[in-house]
Amino acid sequence: MSEKINTDVIMIGAGPSALSAAVYTTREDIKTILLEKGVIGGLAAITDQVDNYPGFPEGVTGLDLAEKLEKQAERFGADIRYGEVSAINAVDGGIEVKTADELYYAKAALIATGSDYKKIGVPGEEEFYGRGVHYCATCDGAFYRDKKLVVVGGGNSAIQEALFLTRFASHIDLLVRSTVKASEVLQKDLQKAVDEGKVSVHIGTTTDEIVGKENKVTSVIGTKDGEKVTFATDGVFVFVGLLPNTGFLENTAVELDETGFIKTDKNLMTAIPSVFASGDVRSGATMQIASAVGEGATAALKIREYIEEQARS
Amino acid sequence: MAKKVTIYTSNTCGQCKMVKKILSMKGHNYDEVNIDESPDRHQEVVTLSGQQRVPVTVVEDDTTGTQSVITGYNPGQLMPALI
Repeated sequence: MSEKINTDVIMIGAGPSALSAAVYTTREDIKTILLEKGVIGGLAAITDQVDNYPGFPEGVTGLDLAEKLEKQAERFGADIRYGEVSAINAVDGGIEVKTADELYYAKAALIATGSDYKKIGVPGEEEFYGRGVHYCATCDGAFYRDKKLVVVGGGNSAIQEALFLTRFASHIDLLVRSTVKASEVLQKDLQKAVDEGKVSVHIGTTTDEIVGKENKVTSVIGTKDGEKVTFATDGVFVFVGLLPNTGFLENTAVELDETGFIKTDKNLMTAIPSVFASGDVRSGATMQIASAVGEGATAALKIREYIEEQARS
Repeated sequence: MAKKVTIYTSNTCGQCKMVKKILSMKGHNYDEVNIDESPDRHQEVVTLSGQQRVPVTVVEDDTTGTQSVITGYNPGQLMPALI
């Protein structure tokens, strides 16, 4: 490991929340390093179409939006690096952050690690991952041209991604455990796809098992009204909710709520003074790109206030 | 040491973009096979990686004759394969 890298603010994650925060901090000449282990832009970058982010009357692809946010942050000097954080500790009045290769020291830190798609947790799901079970429609949808698909989930993501997949699939069976809980616009688009015969919606249907043969998925078994139902399929795309990326915070003083999201006060500060959190990873977040970006801006202003206070004392 | 890099991608794949970005940052040239534009090459992805996922990055070492296949955006596996 090389020498400690000093900076003013270290941001863990480079999704929309951190990129927004970085625009604000770097415009105030606050030296900012962002560490990202995955895709810059986070889940937004792998979302096909974003129609509810303000400023884009025709909508924008997730990839384009992520690229624009990245470019804007870099324009003012944000230093975006690839790395996975393994430890974060309060040390000598500042914050020390470790990755496999580097050690960083900053006056303040922002945790904006976002969330990842949840697994259903049924037999066959892990066994057939990548061989018929997928969590990224924009990555893997192209493999299913003219094939049958099952999409599991009933929220905005499931509906949005199911509609994206109608570009490829011959037919989609949408398995919804309770009821569809998506926006009015998405529900209208879904109904249109149903009327066109592209999608069949199965309400009150659980997904119990993913079955396959010779390394390929062949069907999904579920339960509806107490009866077993089987859906022949070539692939399964799963969108059943989000889990916060906070595993690396185990054994730290950062407090998490009962579902693993980071608790913060009204200044977006965590239980460790000088460590802030924003976006999807934060307890109470509304899981929207627009709110993540707003929280990032707020966190940046609070970070600036904090650094200035520390400098005065 | 001569390394040949081929990436299998799709048009809407954010992880594919990240692999291309990291390769460009490190100064590596690569060939790209876009499976949206070449659906006849889907099976290559499955044969190489055993999965129907992109990105798949293939790093071939002409000197030793070895081949590394990395599925997904995985800098932890990709970087050592490029050395």
